[in-house]
Amino acid sequence: MKSFSYHQPKDIREASNLLGDNWQDALLNAGGTDLLGLIKHDIEKPDHLVNLKAVKDLDKVRYQEGKGLSIGALVKLNDLAAMDIVQNKYTVLAEALQETASPQLRNMGTIGGNLCQRPRCWYFRGDFDCLRKGGELCFAADGENKYHCISGGGPCFIVHPSDPAVALLALDASVTIAGKDREYTVPLHDFFVLPEDDVMRENILQPHEIVTRIHVPDLPSNTRSGYIKFKERDVWDFAVVSVAAVLRMGSERIEGGTMAFGGVAPKPWMEKTINDALNRMEVTDTNLDSLAQIAFTDALPLAQNGYKIPLVRNLIKRVIRTLNA
Amino acid sequence: MAKNKKNSRSMSRRDFMKGFGSGVVGGSIMLQTLHAAPPPTTGTFKDESNRVELTLKVNGKLVQTKITPHTTLIELIRDKLALTGTKVVCNHGECGACTVLLDGRAVYSCHMLALDAHGKEVITVEGLMQGEELHPLQEAFIEKDGMQCGFCTPGQIMAAQGLLNEHPHPNREQILKGMSGNICRCSAYPKIADSVVAAAKK
Amino acid sequence: MASDKIIKSRFFFEDEVEEKLAEVPTEEPDSWQADEKLAKVGKPYSRIDGYDKVSGTARYAFDMHLPNMAQAKTLRCPLAHARIKGIDTRKAEKLSGVLAVLTHRNTPEIKWYGTSFLFDTHLRYEGDEVACVIAETESIAEQAIKLINVDYEELDHVVDAKEAMQDSAPKLYDSGNIRNGEPGTYSRGEVEKGFAQADTVIEDTYRTQIAIHNPTEVHCSVVNWDGDRLTVWDSTQGIFRVRDGVANSLNIPLNSVRVIKKYMGGGFGSKLEAGKYTVMAALAAKQIGRPVRITLDRKEMNLAVGNRPDSVQTLKGGVKKDGTLTALFHHSYGAIGAHPSNAQCSWPLKSMYKCDNVKVEEYSVYINAGRARPFRAPGHVQGFFALESLLDDLAEKINMDPLEFRLKNYADKDQVYNIPYTSKVLREAYQKGADAIGWQNRSEKPGSGRGPVKRGIGMSSQIWWGGGGPPAYATLKLNRDGTLRVIAGTQDIGTGTYTFMAQVAAEALELPMEKVEVILGDTAVAPYCGASGGSTTAPSVSPAVRNAAENMKAKLISGAAAHLEVPESQLTYQKGMVNHKTNTDKSIAIDQLVREMGEQVMVSIGKRGANPEGYMINTFGAQFADVQVDTETGKIRVNKIVAAHDIGRVLNVKTLENQMHGGVIQGLSFALMEERVIDRYTGKVVTFNMHDYKMPTIMDMPDIEMFIVSGGDPKISSTGVKGVGEPAMIPTPAAIANAVYNAIGVRIKQLPMTPDKVLNALYR
Repeated sequence: MKSFSYHQPKDIREASNLLGDNWQDALLNAGGTDLLGLIKHDIEKPDHLVNLKAVKDLDKVRYQEGKGLSIGALVKLNDLAAMDIVQNKYTVLAEALQETASPQLRNMGTIGGNLCQRPRCWYFRGDFDCLRKGGELCFAADGENKYHCISGGGPCFIVHPSDPAVALLALDASVTIAGKDREYTVPLHDFFVLPEDDVMRENILQPHEIVTRIHVPDLPSNTRSGYIKFKERDVWDFAVVSVAAVLRMGSERIEGGTMAFGGVAPKPWMEKTINDALNRMEVTDTNLDSLAQIAFTDALPLAQNGYKIPLVRNLIKRVIRTLNA
Repeated sequence: MAKNKKNSRSMSRRDFMKGFGSGVVGGSIMLQTLHAAPPPTTGTFKDESNRVELTLKVNGKLVQTKITPHTTLIELIRDKLALTGTKVVCNHGECGACTVLLDGRAVYSCHMLALDAHGKEVITVEGLMQGEELHPLQEAFIEKDGMQCGFCTPGQIMAAQGLLNEHPHPNREQILKGMSGNICRCSAYPKIADSVVAAAKK
Repeated sequence: MASDKIIKSRFFFEDEVEEKLAEVPTEEPDSWQADEKLAKVGKPYSRIDGYDKVSGTARYAFDMHLPNMAQAKTLRCPLAHARIKGIDTRKAEKLSGVLAVLTHRNTPEIKWYGTSFLFDTHLRYEGDEVACVIAETESIAEQAIKLINVDYEELDHVVDAKEAMQDSAPKLYDSGNIRNGEPGTYSRGEVEKGFAQADTVIEDTYRTQIAIHNPTEVHCSVVNWDGDRLTVWDSTQGIFRVRDGVANSLNIPLNSVRVIKKYMGGGFGSKLEAGKYTVMAALAAKQIGRPVRITLDRKEMNLAVGNRPDSVQTLKGGVKKDGTLTALFHHSYGAIGAHPSNAQCSWPLKSMYKCDNVKVEEYSVYINAGRARPFRAPGHVQGFFALESLLDDLAEKINMDPLEFRLKNYADKDQVYNIPYTSKVLREAYQKGADAIGWQNRSEKPGSGRGPVKRGIGMSSQIWWGGGGPPAYATLKLNRDGTLRVIAGTQDIGTGTYTFMAQVAAEALELPMEKVEVILGDTAVAPYCGASGGSTTAPSVSPAVRNAAENMKAKLISGAAAHLEVPESQLTYQKGMVNHKTNTDKSIAIDQLVREMGEQVMVSIGKRGANPEGYMINTFGAQFADVQVDTETGKIRVNKIVAAHDIGRVLNVKTLENQMHGGVIQGLSFALMEERVIDRYTGKVVTFNMHDYKMPTIMDMPDIEMFIVSGGDPKISSTGVKGVGEPAMIPTPAAIANAVYNAIGVRIKQLPMTPDKVLNALYR
C-alpha cells in the first residue's frame, strides 16, 4: 500500500484544513473499509489521511420525539443497526444496515463512510483507465455490464453501492456538511450527483468538506417501512436491485409513502410517478400490477442488465405486500 | 463457554486501562478517554522517518512500537509480532481469514490500519490459548471437524468468538449470520456451523 | 517375505491415464473383506493435526520465516497479448531496500510449457510473468514493481474460444489456436445407425463457465540454499513434482532439492506442478545469498495459476420408446488459456451409461488468458451438466421417469474398454438417494408448482476413477517405547490424510491411535508417493501403510521367535504383543522386543500392490437435489442435497463427510455463483477479487445427507479403498440444474444459473 502520513485533528475545522482543496492530497479515514481498498488498488493515492476519531460527538446518536434521529457520521453500522429506536421506528434503515457487507465490516464501517463510499464497478476498481478515474472511456457501456445501471446512466454507468443511503433517501433524510468556512445541511436527495453532472464524484462534497451528521425526520405512528435487498450472494454482496419503502398505512389503503431504489442508478434513486401512485392506493393485486407497470418505464438498460426491470418491478410489489401483511 | 469467559485472555476494560497507566475506568468514559488518551492523540502522527508511535494490547500484552502509518493491523500482527496464526487470504476485507477481535468485536485485520487499533485491545487466535491448552471453542472445532485445509480456520474461530461475545446463546440464524463474513473454500461450512453450536453449549 | 517386482502401472490421475514403472509386492496381506469389522478404520476420529490448525501453530509455507529472509513479488503483464520491446528496471533497482530484479535479460533461458520460457518476451495473457523483484519487505517489492518501466508492443488478442477457432483470429502460436491442430476424437459402434434406430432424438447446446480454484492460501514458496543444495517450502499438492520441476529448471541434481510441505491451504488441482514463482525465488536466492519468500496476491491467483476451462457442448442423444439409448454424440470446445492444457469433457458421455453407438469430437482452444489446470474432477463436472440435462429431456420426451431411464441404461461393464468393473454399487445409491429426497413426491409436470417460489427435485449420476495405484510407498518406524512413526511422501491437502494413515497403521498393528505419529510431505525423508489429486491419495497410500504394518508384524514375530527360541509358526501378534499360541509364558511386548534387539527403531516398508488386471476401477454415485426458485427474483436456493456414493471402504467417516460437504458446496457454487469474467475488448479479467468472483458462504449451504452404499472393494487393494474428493462434486451441478428445470419448466442451459439468466429465461 502507498505510504502516507496520518493526522488526527481535534475538531472539524482542523480536519477540514488538513483535507485542503485537492482530492489527491488528503483523504478522510473513518472506518477505512472502503478507503483501504481504494488505496491498495491505486485508485486513490493520498499523501495524507485524516482520521476523525478525536472529534467529539461524531459517534453519538440522538433521538428526539417530533424532531427525529440525528446520527453522527462515525457511528458504526452495527451499533446503529442494534439500536431499539432504529429497529422499531426506522425499520427500513435497520434492515438496510443489516444487509450491508459482512458482520466484520459492519463492526468497522461507519454510516458517514458508507454514504461516501466509491462505486464497486469492476472497471473502476480494476486496472482500467475509466471515465471516473479521469480516463476517456466507460468500459461498462459496451462491456461486462450486468450489474450496471438501468436509469440515470451516461456517460458512466455505475450504480451507487450504499444500502443505508437508499433507506435514508426513502426516509427523507438530510446530511450536515462541514467545510473550512461553513456548515450546511442538504437533503440527501441533493447530496448525490449523477455522472452527467460530475463523472468523477458521486456526491457534492468538496475536498475540504466532511459529512458530520445525518438527520432523519420523525415518522407518523402509522408508518411501516422495510428494505428488500436482492443480491446474488446472501452476504457480502452489493444490491443487484434493492427497494426501500416507507409507507403510511391507513385502515384500508396506503395513505401515502415513498420508495427508493438501489442497484439501478448511479445514485440512490426515486421515481416520482411511483411515489405519486402510492397516494391513497389500495393494496390489491391489480393496483400492485399497475404500480409495477409504471415503474422504470424510462429505464434504458444496457446489453446485459435488462433483467433488472422485471426484478425491480417484482420487488416493488413484494415490499408493499410484505408491509401490508 | 462459562469457562472461557473467566479464563479468557480478553481483559476487562478496567485491566486494559491499567495497562495504559490511566486512572480512568468505566466503559463509556473509556471510549472517549481513549480518543483523547495517550499521546499522540491529536495532530500529526509522524517522526522524521514518517514512523509513528502506536500503543495497543495484543493477547493481553502491552505493545508499544513505531510503525509507518500505512501498516495494516495484520501486518503488525504477523510481521512485527510474529503471530502467524492469523492468515492473509484476500487482503481486501472480503474473506475473513484475517479476523481478530478488536475490543471484543470481530474485524478484518487486513483491511484496517494498525493505527486505528491504537489504544485498543486485539485478540488473535493465539490469544485464545492458555499456554498450550486449547480454548473450548478451539476444542469444539476439532471435535466437530470444523476445518479441512485449516487455512481459514483461525479466522473462523475468531469470528465465532466475536459472535459468541455478542450472542452467548445464539440460535441457528444468528450463527449463520455471524459466521457469514468468513469464506472457507474447502466449504467445510456444515461442520463449522456444528462447531459453533457445540461451542455455544460448552 | 516374498521379493518385490517392477510392473508398468497405469491408472487415471485426474482425467488422464498416468503410466509409471512401479515396484509392487508380489504378495500382499489378504484384503480386508467388504464388510470386515474393523476397530479403527472407518471410525470418526478427529483429525490428528486438528490441534495445529485450531491453535494457529500449523505452519504453512505462507507462514515460514527464516533469518535474513528477503521477499519477492512478480510483475505481470497488464495486457492480454503483447511483446516486450524494452524494459527498464533502473528506477526499481535504485529504490532503497531492493535487492535484485529478475527479467528475461538477466536470467537463463529456462523452458516452460514446452515452447515458452520462465520469462518470455512474447506475453500471451494478462498475468504473464515479466519480472520478479526481491526486496527487504513485501511492501518495498510491491513499490519497486511499479517503478519498472516496460515498453510493450500491444498485440491483437482473443479471449473467446469460438472466436479463437476462426482463421481470422489473432494467433497465440504459429501453429494456430487449436491445440494439436485437431480435435480429440472417439467413437464406438455406428452413431448414425444408432440415431436412425431412435424413436426420439434431441440435440442441444450447453455451456459452462471458466472457474478459478481460489484456494485460501496463495501459491507461495520459501526457498533457501545451503551451498548447492536447495530447500523449498512450498504450498503444493505434489512435493515430488515440485522437486523434479525445480531441479530440471535449474539443471541441478534431484538430490540437491528438498521440498517440504507440512500444511497447505487448499489446492483443488491448482497446485499439482512446480510454479514459475518457485524457480524465480530460487534464482534470486542464489544471487543474493539469502533465503527468499515469494507469494502471489489474490489478483494473481485469479489470473495466473489455473482455472477450469469453459465448455460449449453440443450433445445429441437418440432413444427408443422403451428408454434404450441408441446413440450419443458429443461435440465441444473449450478455452484452455494461453498454454497447453486440456478442455475435454466427454468422459461422462462415453462411460456413464450403456450405449453402443457413441461419437465424440472435442477441441481444446488457446486464448489470451491464464492457462487451465486440473480442477476438482476436470471435464466431469461440465460434462455431467450437459449429459444429465440431455438425459432428463430425453426421459421427458418418452414419458419416462428420469431415474427409471437411467436404470434402463445401467452399464454393467466399462463402456470404453469393454472390461468389468472391480465393483459397482450404483443401484443401491439410486435407491437410497431417491428415498431420502422423496423422489416419489417429485412433480412430474415441470413448473407446475403454485406461487412465485417453486420447488423442484432433480438428480444426476456420477462416475470417476479414483482407484489410485502404484507406485506408493510408506515407511514405518517402531520406536523402543512402542510408539510408531508412519512416513510417506504424500501430502495432506485438507482431506484428512494424516489421520487415516494413523488409523490404518493403528488398525493393522492393533495400537492405540495416540501411539501413532505421521510424517508427510518431505522429499528428503519420505518414500515416494504421487501428487494428491484425482481422488487417488487414499486408495494409493492406505494399502502401502497397511502392507508396511503387516511387514512390521512379520518382523516382530521373527524377532520374537529368535528371542523366545520358538518357531515363528507358534507365535501370533496381538495388540502390541507377540504371544505364543499355547504357552502363555512365552510372550513379549513389542517395545521390549525392540529393546532386546539392541535397536532404537525397527523399520519396515510397505508398497501399494498392483491393480487387478482386466478390470476398471471406478467410483459411482448419485446426488439428488431439492431446490426452490424464486420466479420473481430469479434466485435459486438449494434446500437439500442427498449424496449417495460407492467409494469403496470408508477410512474415516468424519473427514469423509466433511469432504463430501465440500464437494457438494463447490458443486453448488459452480452451478449457481462463480464465474471468471473477462472484458472482451481489453482481454482483461474483471473478477479478480473475492467479491466479484463470488464463492459461497455459510449462508448458502444446503442440508446435505450422505449415504455410503459401498463396503471395501477387496479386488483393488489390501484396504479396498476408492477416492472421494472428485466424486463428491461431480454430480451436484447437474442435479441442481435438473431440479431447477423440474421447478420452473424452463431449462437453463448455461452455468452459472445466476438470477439474470433465470429471469431472462422466464421473462423472455
